[in-house]
Amino acid sequence: MSMLLTKRLARSLWRTKLRLSAVILMVSIGVFAGIAFGAYAMSVTTLYDDIYEDDEQGVNLPDLWVENNAGNWNATTAENLCQEIRDQWPSDTLELDHCEPRLKSNGQFFSESAEIGMVPSVWHGIDEGEVDKVWIPEHDCCSGRMATAANEIVIDQHAVEGLNIEVGDTVRISAGAGFALNYTVVGIGFHSNHLYFTIGEEIIPAQPGTFVTGYMTDEGLEVLANFTAGESNLLLIDVVGTPDSQAADESGLADLITGISAIVSENNDSPTGVYDRTGVHSVEFLRADVEGAMKTYPIVTGMIAIVAGITIFLSLQRLIQTQAKEIAVLRTLGVKRMSIMPGYAIAPIFIGGIGCVLGAIPGVLFGAPAMVSMYESIIGIPIIDHSLPTSLVIQIVVTAMLIVFLSGLRPAWQASRLQPLEVLRGQHEIRVSSRMLQKMTSKLPATVGLTIRSSVRKPVRMMFTFLAVGLSMLIFGSMIIMMDSFGDIFLGGLDERQSWDAQAFTMGNEDAILEWADENDAEHEFMIVFPGNPEGDNRQLTAYGLENVTTEAGESMYLVYLSEGDLPSENQTIPEVLVDEGLNYFLDWEIGETHSIEFGTKTVEVKITGFTRGELSRTVYFHRADLAEVVGLEATVVMLQLPDGVETDEQLAQSSLGITVREDSVDAVMTLLEQQQGIFLAIQGLGILIAVAVLFNTLVMNLAERDTELATLRVLGASNNRLGLMLFGEHLGIGLIGGILGCIFSILGTKFMMSSFVTWTAYFTVAPSNESIFLLIGIVVFISISLTPFGMWRIKKMDLVEKVKDLSQ
Amino acid sequence: MSLVEISDMKRHYVMPSETVKALDGIDLSIDKGERIILLGPSGSGKTTLLNCVAALDNPTAGKYTFEGHEVPRGHSEKMTSFRRENIGYVFQFFNLLQDLTVLENILLIQELSDGRDKNRALELLKLVGLEGEVDRFPGEISGGQQQRVAIARSLAKSPKLLLGDELTGNLDSATSTKVMEVLVKACEAEEITVIMVTHDESLAKYATRVVRLDSGKIISDEKVNN
Repeated sequence: MSMLLTKRLARSLWRTKLRLSAVILMVSIGVFAGIAFGAYAMSVTTLYDDIYEDDEQGVNLPDLWVENNAGNWNATTAENLCQEIRDQWPSDTLELDHCEPRLKSNGQFFSESAEIGMVPSVWHGIDEGEVDKVWIPEHDCCSGRMATAANEIVIDQHAVEGLNIEVGDTVRISAGAGFALNYTVVGIGFHSNHLYFTIGEEIIPAQPGTFVTGYMTDEGLEVLANFTAGESNLLLIDVVGTPDSQAADESGLADLITGISAIVSENNDSPTGVYDRTGVHSVEFLRADVEGAMKTYPIVTGMIAIVAGITIFLSLQRLIQTQAKEIAVLRTLGVKRMSIMPGYAIAPIFIGGIGCVLGAIPGVLFGAPAMVSMYESIIGIPIIDHSLPTSLVIQIVVTAMLIVFLSGLRPAWQASRLQPLEVLRGQHEIRVSSRMLQKMTSKLPATVGLTIRSSVRKPVRMMFTFLAVGLSMLIFGSMIIMMDSFGDIFLGGLDERQSWDAQAFTMGNEDAILEWADENDAEHEFMIVFPGNPEGDNRQLTAYGLENVTTEAGESMYLVYLSEGDLPSENQTIPEVLVDEGLNYFLDWEIGETHSIEFGTKTVEVKITGFTRGELSRTVYFHRADLAEVVGLEATVVMLQLPDGVETDEQLAQSSLGITVREDSVDAVMTLLEQQQGIFLAIQGLGILIAVAVLFNTLVMNLAERDTELATLRVLGASNNRLGLMLFGEHLGIGLIGGILGCIFSILGTKFMMSSFVTWTAYFTVAPSNESIFLLIGIVVFISISLTPFGMWRIKKMDLVEKVKDLSQ
Repeated sequence: MSLVEISDMKRHYVMPSETVKALDGIDLSIDKGERIILLGPSGSGKTTLLNCVAALDNPTAGKYTFEGHEVPRGHSEKMTSFRRENIGYVFQFFNLLQDLTVLENILLIQELSDGRDKNRALELLKLVGLEGEVDRFPGEISGGQQQRVAIARSLAKSPKLLLGDELTGNLDSATSTKVMEVLVKACEAEEITVIMVTHDESLAKYATRVVRLDSGKIISDEKVNN
């Protein structure tokens, strides 16, 4: 390889420094994003593994949970159930390690601060056992010790920030027994069920001061909830080792769940659910999150690197085209093919190398720590080990370099294959336009025909450009589309169509709540929320029993979103239900079919009349009376419509297992969305930036390629304005086609990405709104037509004397 | 009144090391219907003169009137407008738009100036003997045919003055003859004045006047009987 040839190529590339900078920037962004996302993914993977570990630092996360959904077991029953499970252990491959009864209850936290008032809470009775311990890491976040006395409590670290709780404080709490008690805070830590800190099974974390969880002794909770000694509603089952809950059939967990369900059913009448780690919202959500992050970071890096690679490919092709005569002369003078090729092949390596360095340094120094810190602030779990493996940086850089290197191979090969005679005769520039296209556009004015034909003159380039625009729009578009799709899920049953003001949770003591409602002139409506599972399938679903299953405001305090089918009728021989689209997706349940759902020991056959949309977890909507007959409860929730001036108070809080105030929940969602807006805008801006760079690069190349044509037309007297109009039409066309394709690409890409993240407990569909579709198309059109003034400026600055010289040479 | 009146036209290029006098005091008067050939060695100023006449280039000094009116200089759009209304231009390498058919190449120029007139475009193609090639693409016809299309294109908006820069420079002699014969025939039919730059002395037979330049000056200017 000749140094002079390389120097010549470097100088040629330098002349296109604006485009070159754009490509380098793209590679940098790809590497930066890859390192930032990768560091986050790696850090949290290690973190969860460490927390769940069965060792001195870990909490020893159980493998199975047996939950009494309709009350408590007394001490004897709970111990008997564990003993039966030990005696009849239904697996040959898995070995039982521990079976521990536990008690959990909803409740209220009463703050001295009037601003905060009552806060919905969950209390766990945890005597120091072997399974599912409280995690108090040696970190600034946490302190203290486990509760050992009946009046001691450990408060979850997530709750501390908003309520200013410290070790040594006294807190007043209740658990639906009609009174509140004081407890001394002896520790601040975390629990596996609340590592992802949400109220119930919501998708977004609870805002500071809106939710509290606490961990006390069994006795402490029994007193608070007015239960008898030894009562429990959970059995934690720990298996030796960690069988994979994501492959429950292969690991033997599925059979184990079936076996334990049978044992529990034989020995107890309560509706009982048996589930593995996939049934624990926090555990499953964080697993899906880390899996998503692990899948995302190579995709993000690869995608941006591919966009950069396409841009390099197109730029090199254009460069070779402009240098064709020089290459032909060199070839005529005897320069070997192999002397021409390496320069063009190595150029992308230099471009990629610079981009990688410029992306990797800030990625390691700022991107990775910022991403981890953002994670800590959103999820609220401290990352103890901030490790950034060198192998990750190498993996990202090698991926980016490989993609950019491959992008240069074909142009390099093309450069070396140029035929000197053809080039010098100008034959390589002669092309015959498509006859079909000519016929299709023959009735149009010649200016329009030229615009269309020149736009599709190079189909390969056009295809690559649209691919690159599509990929870059995917980054922006996926954010827009995801926000669209998540809108309903984020708000769940909280949006303005719903008319309940508060939900008071109950377990058979609804009379006290109704009394409160009467005293305060509040309207009420019963609802049942009860866990179940499809027959023969251990995955959990939630059954809602609504007084009136309807989509019409005014007919119920809780409205459903019917996406397909009809509303169910009440009191049918086979109860009619609506199921969410996720059940259709995972189980192929169709409208008109009948299926069986298990509620503990009871199985009910239901007929599906329609699908609903917007539920993150699997949901079935019954008429309340139908569901009440099955589960034996009249209500688990009392929805309240409060008159003006009436608010939930301590009396209601003490009478219920927890209260959700709609306004507070909506505020929490809005606050989180506002907090995230900066990040969303940054990612969207990144996508737009890349789309602009790709479109700009291609359109500038198009303009440069048409210099001869435009100069000819200028010499022949075409005015700037007429040519500008022609360019505008061309850019509008490219923008429209690019926008539509970019939009389709974004939707398909987002669907593909999302489909790989969808799990039983977190199902969502991609449903872009018309506004988003117009926005995506509009942005590409805007970018495209914004380049018309640049094109006109170029035409205006064109030195016609020089161009005429070129045309005559 | 002469169509073109040029007096003491200069075009100097100031370079770091010297000032190049591409045109150094040209006086030229051209009447309507003349066919002028500009001859001279490389660097004599032929193309620069042609560019100044076409209002592509701005003379450094001197006077240039067209039909008695001062030709604009220094204002790109006014110069373009002058070219659109008065000048036809034929290039050495045809410069037809490859994505348009023969007919559409002519229609395009009409659309970009006064308006589309398909009958006139077809008439012009008939005039240059290409009535059978209207729907073919430039890449599908010979170099000579392409140059004839370029001539028809330059006549499409009925210019008063047709300029050609080495317009047969890329053609063999038999094709050159045919192209020149077409050009003469077309310009006579349309009553168009012609100025052509060439190295080829043999083209003098198609001219009514031969102007020779050297070092930016006219060294001879003679009328010929053709």
